[in-house]
Amino acid sequence: MRNHEALQGQDPGRLNLWGLSVVGLALLAGLLGVPVAGWAEDAASASAAVSYRDIPQLGGSRNIIWVVAQLHLLLAGFVLGVPIFAWLCEIVGWKTGEKRYDKLAKEFTKLLTSSYATTALFGGILLFLLISFYPKLMTYLTDIFFPSFIAYCGLFLLETATLYLYWYGWDVMQEGRAKVFHLFLGFLLNFFAFFIMVIPNSWATFQASPVVIAEGSNVARAWAATWNPTWWPVNIHRLIANVVLGGYICGAYAGVRYLSAKSAEEREHYDWMGYVGNFIGVFGLLPLPFAGYWLMREIYQYNQQMGITLMGGFLSWLFILQAMLIGVLFLGSNYYFWLGITHRIPGAEAKYKKPIMAMLVILLLCLGVWMTPHSLVASLEEARKLGGTHHPLLGVFGVMSAKMTVANLMILVTFMSFIMYWRAGKEETATWAKLARAVMSGVLGVAAIVVIVLGVWGYFVPAIVRINYFSVAQVLIVIFVMLTITPLTALLLRSARTTTEMIWGRMPPRAGYALVLNAVMVILLMTLMGYARSSSRVHWHIYGVMRDNSEYAYSPALGYAAAFMSLNTFLFCMLVAFIFWVATMGDKAKAGHGAMPAMAGGSPELDRSKAH
Amino acid sequence: MSEVALLQLLGLGVIGVGVLILLFIQSRFPRVIGFVMIVLGIFSLVALSVPQMASLPPAEEKFDVASIKTANDMAVIGQKIFFSKGQCALCHSIGPSESARCPDLKGIGAKLSREFIYESLTQPQAYIYLDYRHEGPPKDYPARMPHINKNPIGLTNNEILSVIAFLQQMSGEPITISPSEITMPGQPVPVSATAPARGPSSPSPAKSKAKGKTKKADMGTAGLVAMVPGAIVQ
Repeated sequence: MRNHEALQGQDPGRLNLWGLSVVGLALLAGLLGVPVAGWAEDAASASAAVSYRDIPQLGGSRNIIWVVAQLHLLLAGFVLGVPIFAWLCEIVGWKTGEKRYDKLAKEFTKLLTSSYATTALFGGILLFLLISFYPKLMTYLTDIFFPSFIAYCGLFLLETATLYLYWYGWDVMQEGRAKVFHLFLGFLLNFFAFFIMVIPNSWATFQASPVVIAEGSNVARAWAATWNPTWWPVNIHRLIANVVLGGYICGAYAGVRYLSAKSAEEREHYDWMGYVGNFIGVFGLLPLPFAGYWLMREIYQYNQQMGITLMGGFLSWLFILQAMLIGVLFLGSNYYFWLGITHRIPGAEAKYKKPIMAMLVILLLCLGVWMTPHSLVASLEEARKLGGTHHPLLGVFGVMSAKMTVANLMILVTFMSFIMYWRAGKEETATWAKLARAVMSGVLGVAAIVVIVLGVWGYFVPAIVRINYFSVAQVLIVIFVMLTITPLTALLLRSARTTTEMIWGRMPPRAGYALVLNAVMVILLMTLMGYARSSSRVHWHIYGVMRDNSEYAYSPALGYAAAFMSLNTFLFCMLVAFIFWVATMGDKAKAGHGAMPAMAGGSPELDRSKAH
Repeated sequence: MSEVALLQLLGLGVIGVGVLILLFIQSRFPRVIGFVMIVLGIFSLVALSVPQMASLPPAEEKFDVASIKTANDMAVIGQKIFFSKGQCALCHSIGPSESARCPDLKGIGAKLSREFIYESLTQPQAYIYLDYRHEGPPKDYPARMPHINKNPIGLTNNEILSVIAFLQQMSGEPITISPSEITMPGQPVPVSATAPARGPSSPSPAKSKAKGKTKKADMGTAGLVAMVPGAIVQ
């Protein structure tokens, strides 16, 4: 190992210091003991002013931090997303009396205990590595954020205690007031988890959008630094993204189990679980682009140069990849809905074939526009022939006005896919059903037209008008559509008659793969945008405040970065698979003794028989 | 072999392994792993097919005392410090800006004396404003400006003088900082730097444009600058 001033670093952007957990620290003290002893010789001779340390033999400090921080962040997203998912399911089960929701919630809470420890473990590793590799930066951040470090530790203890109560008290607190208290514990779990997320967000966002800190008490300085311009946009964006991650991972788990299910009952159950996971994933996915738009807006407002680096500079191609991943995610989610309509509802295929085809065409067209780059990859000669790097016809799709428009249209289509699935196999009997359907069609049609008109108009107004008014209006219109059609459909279906019962467990194997694909897309997206956020700081540890003076002060090209994204995604998938496997080992043992596997949810029949 | 070619080969290899798993292994879980490998391999290949641009760091600006010959040299260095180490541009703009959180500094060198600017940078709380935007007696409205000569920014005296030179030059004013005021390494900071003598263009206290600020300490010449937008100056 070598110590020197001008070595390492760039990547504490991914350095979300999420895991200062006591558990992780305790485990790691032992785990890291051996290598630390080996490095002690170097460390002893190092001066107190060491800025960077490195282990080039293991790929360099930045790459090590990249992998560890990304895995920690993904696990953190998972353990923060799953409680939201589990709590929502528990509430649904409590309100509707359907025990399978309660069981689903319990099963996923069980996963929390093992995944929580793994997350803390990676948090501990990350913390040790950061202190070792970036002592100067960590000293600076500690000086500013010390009070929030303490608050964070306190929250972690509260979260841990609440998780224990929530999990171990599940069976005891099933009825009456005890159940209400259990739901309250679930609320507390999410409440603490939210603050466990927002505190480290303040450290990471301070690195990207620091504010100047005047003198004052430790708390006042930490508070000032915490309230930096991108803190809340990131908080909201991550909160929603965690729900999406939790939902899609649940879906992927169900997909894998569905593929290997041996009995009809298992198939039914995991088919249903996949549906719930996909539904929650889509539920979060729809508002996510709006949160992303807000974040990007704040970045532009904070520092135009940083915005340009992201959207028009060396990172601009990254957004083409982002479009591809989001596009595949939208397609995958819709595809799963469509498979559900055509396979779970007998006779629905003929009825819905045309609308599905129309939606597929719209989605593909929108994806094509979204993925059209602003400038083409062209040789000098090709560019001369074109008369520039902009394609004479397609170039018009390469700008934000077009991309905002198609993003909103894709959200609308996905929303309508969900509504279509919701209404399939039912016949509305309300007297005002015809009027309601006309209103919904009208709202949807007018909204789509207005979104397109604003998109086209956006070409003819100054950028500031488009950004401040047109894009915001497009977003508000889509939100209005959701807020109008969702309650209207719910009201309509309250009195609806079921014409065709939904039959679970009839999905083809490709549905399972679609669920896995969706989860992989979400994970890849998180790794991609982590790279974007970190690289937008270019050669600064803390943008404009503390420069990265190491040999890693450059941002690598997309291809190189994508290799790490893929590696991190793969490792995370394997980790989650391991956690699921460990968590369900006990169930398999029980199943081997003649009992039914305690699968999340179980079939309605099983629920009924157990209830009696 | 170039790095891109190597990574492409790796991506193809990952896809190949995934395809082999799907072709020859029937067990479901390994098949899912194979599927994931194919997806990740395709993603990597797509990422390698777009222009590969890395962002290299610019050369770091060093404050080289020996290079300063004229007042203009100081202003050039001051400009660099203004936009980098000094972090001034994090909050202040030069010219109107919607995103600036603190006063626009355009023309500030013409409005304020060098002494006042120096004092504002090093003792931002020397003058406080009174805030009347509420019922009852006015409250102190402390400046959000940090001490620029202390951590975390910690500009040296030379750097502060250079920033003042830049602000004066940017305002179309003659630079009143002389290169002779720059201290060489190891040389003690002259008294004139911390309590500078009034330059030829410095307004006298009587001429200063101060309007009713509450003086907290006797810190020298006062000028006018609305430290906090919206604060009512007494």
